Amino acid sequence: MRKWVLPITIVCIISGLLLSLQFKAQASLTSNPIGQRNEALVGLINNSEEEIVKYQEAINVLREELDKIENSSPTGQVDIKQLQQKVQKAKLQAGLLPVKGRGIKVIVDDNNAGLNAAPNDDPNRYIIHYENILNIITELKLGRAEAISINGQRIVTPTEIRCVGNVILVNITRLAPPFEISAIGNPDILEEMLLSGEYDLLKGTGFPVSYTKYNSENPIEIPAYTGTYQFNYTKINE
Amino acid sequence: MWLPLLGLLFGAIIGSAISFQIPIIFAKYMSVAVLASLDSVFGGIKGVLEETFDGTVLLTGFFTNALLAALLAYLGDRLGVDLYLAAVFAFGVRLFQNLATIRHYLLCRSLKSYKGCPRK
Repeated sequence: MRKWVLPITIVCIISGLLLSLQFKAQASLTSNPIGQRNEALVGLINNSEEEIVKYQEAINVLREELDKIENSSPTGQVDIKQLQQKVQKAKLQAGLLPVKGRGIKVIVDDNNAGLNAAPNDDPNRYIIHYENILNIITELKLGRAEAISINGQRIVTPTEIRCVGNVILVNITRLAPPFEISAIGNPDILEEMLLSGEYDLLKGTGFPVSYTKYNSENPIEIPAYTGTYQFNYTKINE
Repeated sequence: MWLPLLGLLFGAIIGSAISFQIPIIFAKYMSVAVLASLDSVFGGIKGVLEETFDGTVLLTGFFTNALLAALLAYLGDRLGVDLYLAAVFAFGVRLFQNLATIRHYLLCRSLKSYKGCPRK
């Protein structure tokens, strides 16, 4: 090895290090500090969501175990069968069981075409807001829907439908358009409710909305509620 | 021959792999230090071609130049004089001169017909 190779290599390594460090610093300098903060927050949210998924998996495993225990039939006890049926019914009412049946599936999406056609207009007029979803859900409930889900999130008693920035929060899960609302019930009544309410308004203002009816040969499937019911303050009033 | 290039690449990879980031307020001083280090690299290569290369001179020059440049830039900021521009100018000019000399030497080596060989 010639005598110049080592010193120049050392200098080159340090230069490369400095260059890449400076490159990184400059890259973060050009992106504005608010963006950086947002990135940090997005990272935080993603981490939390990963954690939620992990815990939900744990919940599911525990629920399966519980189901097994509930459904195992000890010999010699007749009452157990009845109790099991009762539990199953209560779970159905609480939305803790995946269900299927006749119903209707509504798909609503942001009016991107409309926004592109009028780029100077207020973009708020072209996106689906949580109120739209809330109204559709309420109308489906009025149409006696027995089970409803949005993008796979089951609507149950503690379910919130809330606007968080450009997405909608349902069961503490962020949902982005297009929104797929599935409802089990009498398809004709549900259709009638849809066509005389929010759905019709959205269609009239140019949003890309559509619905399909599902009959009993081709049932619609709705997943179970994966969250928890917490009663920390509520006591049974006897 | 390829070791310095590999070293450059190696340093760059380390720099992008570690999570350490230079605080933004120091980014300006760092930029001068980076220029100084680049100047040292090209100065070293020129030294090799001129056969006046001295490892000790290169290494000491590298560190003192980079540190002094950054220090000068910092001092300039305190005094309200854009001294770092002077460093950028000085290193920039030297960088181009070194590059030009290296180019002349390489031309000299590869082209027998090249007349503008630098005198040693």
